Amino acid sequence: MMDLTNRQWVRHAVTHPMEGFEDMRWKKAGSMKIATGIVLLWFVAAIFYERLYGFQFYTTNDKMFNVIPFIVQTIVIFLTWVVGNWSVCTLLDGEGTMRNIYIYSAYALIPYIASIYIEVLLSHFLIRDEMVFISAVYWIGLLWSGVLIFSAIKSVHQYSVIKTFVAIALTVVAMMIMLFLLVLLLSLFQQVYVFFYSLYTEAAYRLKV
Amino acid sequence: MHKKIQRIAAAACAAVLAGSMLTGLTAAADEHYDVYNYDRWEEAIPSQAGYMATRSVSGDDLGIGDFSEPSDLFRDTEDQLYIVDTKNNRIVVTDAGVTKVIRVMEEFTMPDGSRTKLKAPEGIYVSPESGLIYIADYSNSRVLVTDADGNVQLEVTKPESELFASELTFLPQKVIADKAGNIYIVLGNITTGAAMFDAEGNFKGYYGANTVEATSQVITNYFWKLISTDEMRSRQARTVPTGITNFDLDDEGFIYTCTQSTSQKKDTVKKLNPAGNNLFASLDTSWGDIQSVWDANTSKNYQSMICDIEISDDGNINCLDLTTGRVFQYDEEGNLLFIFGSTSEQLGGFTEVSAVESCGTEILVLDARKNTVTVFEETDFGSIVHEATVLYNDGYYEEALDPWFRVLQYDGNYRRAFLGISAAYLVQGNYKDSMKYAKLADSPYRYNRAFEGYRQEWLSEHMTQLVIGIVLIIAGILVLSWYVKKHHKPNAEYDLTKAAPREEE
Repeated sequence: MMDLTNRQWVRHAVTHPMEGFEDMRWKKAGSMKIATGIVLLWFVAAIFYERLYGFQFYTTNDKMFNVIPFIVQTIVIFLTWVVGNWSVCTLLDGEGTMRNIYIYSAYALIPYIASIYIEVLLSHFLIRDEMVFISAVYWIGLLWSGVLIFSAIKSVHQYSVIKTFVAIALTVVAMMIMLFLLVLLLSLFQQVYVFFYSLYTEAAYRLKV
Repeated sequence: MHKKIQRIAAAACAAVLAGSMLTGLTAAADEHYDVYNYDRWEEAIPSQAGYMATRSVSGDDLGIGDFSEPSDLFRDTEDQLYIVDTKNNRIVVTDAGVTKVIRVMEEFTMPDGSRTKLKAPEGIYVSPESGLIYIADYSNSRVLVTDADGNVQLEVTKPESELFASELTFLPQKVIADKAGNIYIVLGNITTGAAMFDAEGNFKGYYGANTVEATSQVITNYFWKLISTDEMRSRQARTVPTGITNFDLDDEGFIYTCTQSTSQKKDTVKKLNPAGNNLFASLDTSWGDIQSVWDANTSKNYQSMICDIEISDDGNINCLDLTTGRVFQYDEEGNLLFIFGSTSEQLGGFTEVSAVESCGTEILVLDARKNTVTVFEETDFGSIVHEATVLYNDGYYEEALDPWFRVLQYDGNYRRAFLGISAAYLVQGNYKDSMKYAKLADSPYRYNRAFEGYRQEWLSEHMTQLVIGIVLIIAGILVLSWYVKKHHKPNAEYDLTKAAPREEE
């Protein structure tokens, strides 16, 4: 029973918010490859949203494009979510492995990512007065993904509803701490770099004179 | 031999260069400062000069001795130019071109026959309706209303009114009068707006006060005041708006005020209706330079301070910036047209500007330190932009099309030209080009309008194809699903009911 291929599992999980992930867990299904592909698609979608949006809605400054923020807003956020959730839920008797959290969370994002692509597509056919259609697509995608994320975390750790809420809230806190430490680390490294660089310039100057 | 060839080649190059300078280059190259404008992203970009300084006139050139800290300029309807020569206690009246003196006003006859002299006058206004001259006589604490021959009709002094607190000084700096003869006076040290007097000289109240900008400091002060005692409150700095610095009247009777302030960003330029409401409140124009410039030498942030405002006959708004010596010209809707002038010793540069006045195609700027009047003449580029702007603002989009294209020949970065062309094509129903130019102008709003029309047109043209296409696609899907059903073996895909019962863990 339930001998689905990897692709069929994706469809099953997305279209069955209540029991889809439970079934996946039960059959130990889910593919890292597909999950990674989804996250990369999210990254591409974020860039599409910024660069390929219909001109009538808004426009961005061509001179200011930088890819780093998009990487941070999609891939880095996703990875911190996975690591943060794993760290929190390991302490809270969660049963999910890092691999499973990664796969389930990625699958849960599919409606949201799809909604971005649909929005970008629609923005080329609609005018400003009809913007309500675009926001409808956006909210449907967002809510659907929200429900799926909840269901995914609930299934992967075998939590009760309340515990899932707590776990998600704590995960967000953990993500913030991680990002804060990351920024701190980066700025410290930069200072160390500046220190050694000034040592180098000083030495080079002494040698020259 | 070799050197000779080199020399000839160099000479030839120089000749070609010189030739191209004479013919090819446009006005901007003649200015000693970088002419710039702002693009849609509020970044300064090079532009063409709309005005060029042609000459500067001192009092000596006019044969009446040098000016001394002149502080106001005014052109009346008969094209006479009034220069308020503050420290010389006189008013010099010249022709519009500032070439010859018509008369010098120093002494006036009071209604009782006595003679009176000015003392450091700072402002002047000549009513287009009555021809009366209004002089803000600063150190004498009065405003004189006189006819052209120097007979004083009315003397406005510190009002004996309950509305005007008696401890306040009465130091008139600028004066205007509306069509009804009401007199508005900008007073030194008064932040509650311009003092308003009726035609008989009775004090009526204040007009056009600035509002306090809600900066973080103001908000903090407000909360401190809520919890502090009366004694503490009395020692606290009071939150008062900056007083208006200067004003002008347009043909329709609207009063434009400007406020010279380093701290205030809001309300620096206002257009007031008779009720005192600011019609420019919803405008997102930032008057003067958009970014402030940090000067490392003086450790100061240089920010525009609009010290004079003037409405020209065709409705353009000229704002004079004290900090940078620049004139910012806006059209009646607050769109920036040109920036010209600088702080320097050369012609077209200033030390301390005090007043700006327009005169047909010329703009005159008064410098209180150099004691000169500098005449800026409109360039070819300037006149085309003005022509296009006036047509555009009056709604003649199609007529403005040709001038806008000529503007682009001078300056391919001039955003308003792209907007104008887009609007014109939209009116003509040429949606595709309208979209193209809206995109060049970086205007999603205009693009949206053009796209709406384009989509409408496209739909009505391709309706049959569209319907056939949709029908074909639906039919294709139906056929395909039927085919798949027939030839594909069903697996347990979605039949969850048949799923084996879960093992207890």
